[in-house]
Amino acid sequence: MSVFVDIAPDESRVDSPKVNAPTNKWQGRLTRATLPALSLIVFFVVWQIAAASGIWNQTFVPYPGTVWRAFLDVSTTHDGTRGYAGYLLWEHLYMTLRRVLAGVVIGVALGVLLGLVMGSVSWVRSVLEPWLTFLRALPPLAYFFLLVIWLGIDEAPKITLLALAALPPAAVATTAAVVAAPVGLQEAARALGASRSEVIRDVVVPSALPETFTGIRLAVGMAYSSVVAAELFNGIPGIGGLVKDASNYNNTPVVLVGIFAIGISGLIIDGLLRAIERRAVPWRGKI
Amino acid sequence: MKLTKAASAATLRRALVATLAATTLALAGCSVNQPGQQADRPTIRVGYQTFPSGDLIVKNNKWLEEALPDYNIKWVKFDSGADVNTAFIAKELDFGALGSSPVARGLSAPLNIPYKVAFVLDVAGDNEALVARNGTNIKSIADLRGKRIATPFASTAHYSLLAALSQNKLSPNDVQLVDLQPQAILAAWDRGDIDAAYTWLPTLDDLRKSGKDLITSRQLARDGKPTLDLAAVADDFASAHPEVVDIWRQQEARALTTIKDEPDAAAKAIAAEIGLTPEETAGQLKQGVYLTPEEVASPEWLGSEGKPGNIAANLQSASQFLADQKQIPSAADLATFQNAIYTKGLPGVLSQ
Repeated sequence: MSVFVDIAPDESRVDSPKVNAPTNKWQGRLTRATLPALSLIVFFVVWQIAAASGIWNQTFVPYPGTVWRAFLDVSTTHDGTRGYAGYLLWEHLYMTLRRVLAGVVIGVALGVLLGLVMGSVSWVRSVLEPWLTFLRALPPLAYFFLLVIWLGIDEAPKITLLALAALPPAAVATTAAVVAAPVGLQEAARALGASRSEVIRDVVVPSALPETFTGIRLAVGMAYSSVVAAELFNGIPGIGGLVKDASNYNNTPVVLVGIFAIGISGLIIDGLLRAIERRAVPWRGKI
Repeated sequence: MKLTKAASAATLRRALVATLAATTLALAGCSVNQPGQQADRPTIRVGYQTFPSGDLIVKNNKWLEEALPDYNIKWVKFDSGADVNTAFIAKELDFGALGSSPVARGLSAPLNIPYKVAFVLDVAGDNEALVARNGTNIKSIADLRGKRIATPFASTAHYSLLAALSQNKLSPNDVQLVDLQPQAILAAWDRGDIDAAYTWLPTLDDLRKSGKDLITSRQLARDGKPTLDLAAVADDFASAHPEVVDIWRQQEARALTTIKDEPDAAAKAIAAEIGLTPEETAGQLKQGVYLTPEEVASPEWLGSEGKPGNIAANLQSASQFLADQKQIPSAADLATFQNAIYTKGLPGVLSQ
């Protein structure tokens, strides 16, 4: 069973209680709390200096203050203009999150299902693996135009693109996890009289879940990194559409606001997924 | 697990090989990028776009290379005026072709790009138009209220569409504007996702097969809202190499004369650059408005040395319009645009 300890990610080791003295523990906590804050402060100071140095044009490196004002402008109604392109920042973000959620749910559901089948039936794996790798290798931009021709310019092509981006990581991770399900446990369950479906339900799926969760997190990441591509056509309201439109007008402060919004919401989503993962599969790394 | 480990090692190896291959390809790509470049000569960087214009005749016939044997000429293709503006800000371009509304934006705050308008490549005529799809019951621009109209945002067509709407007392909020590039417009049009579109050739000809023109840019020009394709030169470059700018303008003037006097030769050269047949290109050239060199240097357009022409007023009104549409914070004043017209040596320099 050492296999599973092997594939458990570092974070579970970080979270596991340390045997060190309490002072060390305190130091550790302090470091964990202050280092990210410190890196943020250093980042803003370097940014401010870079902008003030005047080496680069304001269009390329605007002041942090300019970006903050752009953030306020995009988030409020000012001089009769509502946010950016008629929508407030949170509305852009909400539309994008809705698309990502729909895309990820479809993509992950199909991906996990596919992974279960591919992991348990070897000829299906042989048939589908090249297709999955093919899909995984394609940058979304390459086929997005085809989706527009087939599905139009509304929500369908965007959600399809996000689902296609999310499907392969979920499928690949699930396949690998199912293949790696401990044969000893499966045989023991069979010996105790479990049927094939019971073995899958009670042994294979639980042992595959931790890795599947990693796959889901990867899938969400892939989908999230495709939002600008997905919202390339008719993407407003949408945070990717906002970034694309603002860059059309060389409006760097708004582009940066959009990038920060995507990045920070991505961090929050990943944090949520990790919390869910800890609750849903507490046996990760402990079998 | 052993199997997975072996597989992951193989994947790693494959990834390494792929990375190496990609790197090699990229490096090889650099060396075959621009044949005939020599390291010991200064390089002139010319940004061009694939709308039919004299620029493409100059490029295809290598006139600039012939007239400036002591320089490397590096032609860089761009898909939009916004990208050309970005390249100018990054100081990566000496000359660039772009539409009048990107120029108006570039010369206004906050961009304030240090470049000057040095040539008029063409004036939009029937080659840019607002078309309504058959079966939508749209007979006039006023019927567009509440309909879905597609146009590539930040382009001259976007500007013309907003101008056409405001002529008919419609604001952008009265219709549904959709940001689509020309190829996507065609796809959405065929599927019935959009009711009308403001775009340019060659997509426009496909739309006209199942739609009808509501207004063209030729009409808008008559109404005082012309859109043009301009060529700009970076300030630094113009003051350091005025003789190169003169030679470049002479080649552009020669191309305009070719379009007028030898349309077949012009169509052939342009066709080779944009991948259409010479016949299709000739049809496109007929729909645009190409000035003569004398007209370019006339008070209506660039003007002459010390007396910048009416184009400054055109750009200023475009800037004002963009400010009204909240696309830029505020319009620049007329003097800014007059200073940004490169009139040195006009009109005599064009006929040399």
